[in-house]
Amino acid sequence: MRASSLYEPLLSEIARVEEETPDTRTYFLAADAIPWRGTYRPGQFVEVSAFGVGEAPFCLSQSPTRAAFIEVTIRRTGSVTNRLDTYGAGDLVGLRGPFGNGFPVERARGKDLIFVAGGIGLPPLRSLINYVLDRRSDYGDVKVFYGARSPADRVYKNELAEWRRSPDLSVVETVDRPDEGWDGPVGVVTALLKGLKVHPASTMAFTCGPPVMLEFVTAELLRLGLHPSNIVTTLERYMKCGVGKCGHCCVGHHYICVDGPVYNLDQIQRLPEAP
Amino acid sequence: MRVISDADLRGLAADLLAAGSTVWGPARVPGSPRPGVEYRPLREAAELDLGAGLPFLPLKQVFLPPTEPLFWWERKGTEVRLVPPAPPNRRVVVIGARPCDAAGADAMDRVMGWDYRDELWFARRDAATVVTVACERPADEACFCSDVGLGPSHPRGSDLLLIPHPGGYAVEEVTAKGRELVAAFPHRFREDEQVTPGETAAAGPPRIDLAGVQRWLADHFEDETWNEVALRCHGCGACASVCPACHCFDIVDEPDSLLAGTRRRNWDSCQTSRFTVHASGHNPREGQHARVRQRVVHKFQVFPRRFGRLLCTGCGRCTRACPAGQDLFEILTLVSERALETS
Repeated sequence: MRASSLYEPLLSEIARVEEETPDTRTYFLAADAIPWRGTYRPGQFVEVSAFGVGEAPFCLSQSPTRAAFIEVTIRRTGSVTNRLDTYGAGDLVGLRGPFGNGFPVERARGKDLIFVAGGIGLPPLRSLINYVLDRRSDYGDVKVFYGARSPADRVYKNELAEWRRSPDLSVVETVDRPDEGWDGPVGVVTALLKGLKVHPASTMAFTCGPPVMLEFVTAELLRLGLHPSNIVTTLERYMKCGVGKCGHCCVGHHYICVDGPVYNLDQIQRLPEAP
Repeated sequence: MRVISDADLRGLAADLLAAGSTVWGPARVPGSPRPGVEYRPLREAAELDLGAGLPFLPLKQVFLPPTEPLFWWERKGTEVRLVPPAPPNRRVVVIGARPCDAAGADAMDRVMGWDYRDELWFARRDAATVVTVACERPADEACFCSDVGLGPSHPRGSDLLLIPHPGGYAVEEVTAKGRELVAAFPHRFREDEQVTPGETAAAGPPRIDLAGVQRWLADHFEDETWNEVALRCHGCGACASVCPACHCFDIVDEPDSLLAGTRRRNWDSCQTSRFTVHASGHNPREGQHARVRQRVVHKFQVFPRRFGRLLCTGCGRCTRACPAGQDLFEILTLVSERALETS
């Protein structure tokens, strides 16, 4: 093994890029050169390199059951994501991973599943939603609730339409600011959960979105009777190494990059420092 | 007991240099603005200066350099080539490590080796033999190794421990690596029955209740104490830069041009405000009190619970380096007192 393999990325070619929203793109990375294609867990993440700028962590946004590409959906926010934004098909990025614990797919077996996402929070959940759809008989009822700032800010517009047509799940979307073509609900995603009929003992919820959304969504899920251990989210933290060495994502006793990033509410409530 | 004379210790350094080893030891740095010594790779054995107290920077630089390349990258058209650094190919012997520094590297082994193994760290650790010289007295009043379960002649992290006696040192062989070094240069060592291990520098009784400190830290994450002790902190991170056990690092790209550059890791500190800041600008660890708390709680409660070692060896360097007069032992004393009040 070469000396720096832990920090030395695989080179991975961008096969194509999908523009999701004005500031968000999905990068489809050619999976044939990636030894762990198809074997990672939904909810794990990778460190993506733009050589010359640096490396940043992103969740794997596609299910490992769909192994044609390694997919990451990235919003232009900082120096690495801005450089990636200039990349297209044929460009090479660096890839390290997969890292982290991933979603508890085994514990979710046989349960009814609720997914609640806000904005760029859908990509990590999508890795699990498609996983569940590909093992449909292992899981109960599946409901997806997605809120975005505006219709244009929704990621995976085509896939959402497909999901909507599918008998395997129900999808309800809402936006804060509708446009002329929008005929769906308007307002925060939490409103969609009010009065929802669930079997609390056999339901698990997966949620991801901005901190303020998470606060209201978890409160609503608790009100529906879900146990905190059945409310699952994935935490965001500034990370460098991804392997529990560099200290950046250390929160209390947890190295979020190795012990997380997926936690249930029960665990999060015991973290000393709010994420 | 096996002993080595002052002259033979210097001779050992000369033998090792002649044999092609890299020898690190405390030495004066010509032209340095700092008084005292630094751990340096020696050019000649005469540079070794064992009488000048604690080097300003810790020994961890031998195993985790302040900055090191992780790989070089080069772009040709759409192709990218990565070139990893060569693994260490020379034996490294440290002569004149201090017990607090040797123990610091031992604590870092825990985090560098859990789950994922940091090969860069362990390649250097494996290639190195650490010959420690016990302290005859504290370097100054900032030292507190005896208060954190170590002491002036604690063997943790050392391969050989040398305990000073007039004219030389009693030699304690701590590890197989240490025994191998003795066996490789037998003419530098001799047996002296007059010298007994009992002559080691004595560790004083601890001045703080460490168990009480850990108990208090475990359930006082939110406490006014953190606001009080953070008032002095500028958030400069000097404390972490001189710490023998702080393992945090940053990973950065340094482009030489648009077509080539280096990815490096550099020492980093959780005391700076940018340590946890997201690309979005959100900082989950706002406020210096939260960062000072992170340093203290991580070193004395979190790390020990997870890895079985304190992440502090009581070297006192952070106290010496702090431009604002922050004193870690003073914080521990305060916490120890509050632990007594609340117990």
